[in-house]
Amino acid sequence: MEDQDILLKFRDPASRNLAFNQLVRKYQSKVYWHVRKMVVDHDDADDLTQEVFIKVWKHLENFRQDAALFTWIYRIATNECLNFLSSKRRKFFLPLNDVGAELTQKLEADEQLAGDEVELKLQKAILRLPDKQRLVFNLRYYDEMPYEQMAEVTGTSVGALKASYHHAVKKIEQYVNQATD
Amino acid sequence: MKTPFRLDEHPRRPLPPLASPPEDYFQQLPRRVMQRVGPAEAAPRLGWLTALSAPLRTALAAVLLLVSFAAAFWLLPTGPTAAPPLAGARLALPAARALAAVPRAEAVQYLLSDAGPRVTLADLADTHVADHDLAADFLPGTSAEIQAALDEQPSLDVYL
Repeated sequence: MEDQDILLKFRDPASRNLAFNQLVRKYQSKVYWHVRKMVVDHDDADDLTQEVFIKVWKHLENFRQDAALFTWIYRIATNECLNFLSSKRRKFFLPLNDVGAELTQKLEADEQLAGDEVELKLQKAILRLPDKQRLVFNLRYYDEMPYEQMAEVTGTSVGALKASYHHAVKKIEQYVNQATD
Repeated sequence: MKTPFRLDEHPRRPLPPLASPPEDYFQQLPRRVMQRVGPAEAAPRLGWLTALSAPLRTALAAVLLLVSFAAAFWLLPTGPTAAPPLAGARLALPAARALAAVPRAEAVQYLLSDAGPRVTLADLADTHVADHDLAADFLPGTSAEIQAALDEQPSLDVYL
């Protein structure tokens, strides 16, 4: 079902639940993986994904369609992730890098990475990036999102995003090369 | 010589190699989300409350708290409320009122003065109970014994 149809049905109280159910089914996987890449842990990703859709439910009626529905949902998901990570840092009085260290521990426990040393180093390098830069990297590298759409999701200029991605790639390559030596 | 790592030469994966979520996760997620958004719709009575801004809600809560305190003070009887008085105590009420009318300074002065015996045997015999023989059960001593016991009391300490 097209986004426009979902929105039309959502505005009708009789078909609201059905429309929202279809919206969740359509975007759940993308939202989940977007969140999961940021928080690594499945349980955290599960909680945050639900929170994202609850916020979508609350505010969808006021959605003005200035941006595509998916971009809007992505923006909510992004804000939820960044808030979650910063609240985690505040809660445990952690410096910037320590959340990365915690996420790395979770990553090392993941069986999928067993045996692939270069991939493990690459993932560790990604987790060492600051949250916002990691977000930019994920959107560009994994989701292959155009910079214009990324600008709408993050509220940052295209130029700043290009620079941020370029620096992220340099940092990652540098870390993997140092870890290999 | 080792080739330096370059990200664009590394095989790109669509997702980071993380463990997949549980098998039926995406089948159950819509139902779980719908369960969480459902009850919020079922409570429209207090919908106006959520429409108020946060400072207004705080002010409203403070006013309600104040009103409940005021109502509690207004509705509760003033002064100590006692259990229904016993028969003996009911008889002693006029005496208690008369005693309450005596100024405190005068009462203290009376108690500290050495003029005459403070408690007489007649006082002890005068009980405000219906059963006049009751005193005989509680005071089996002779008059002389009672008088001796009263004289032994350190009067100042007792009254102060």
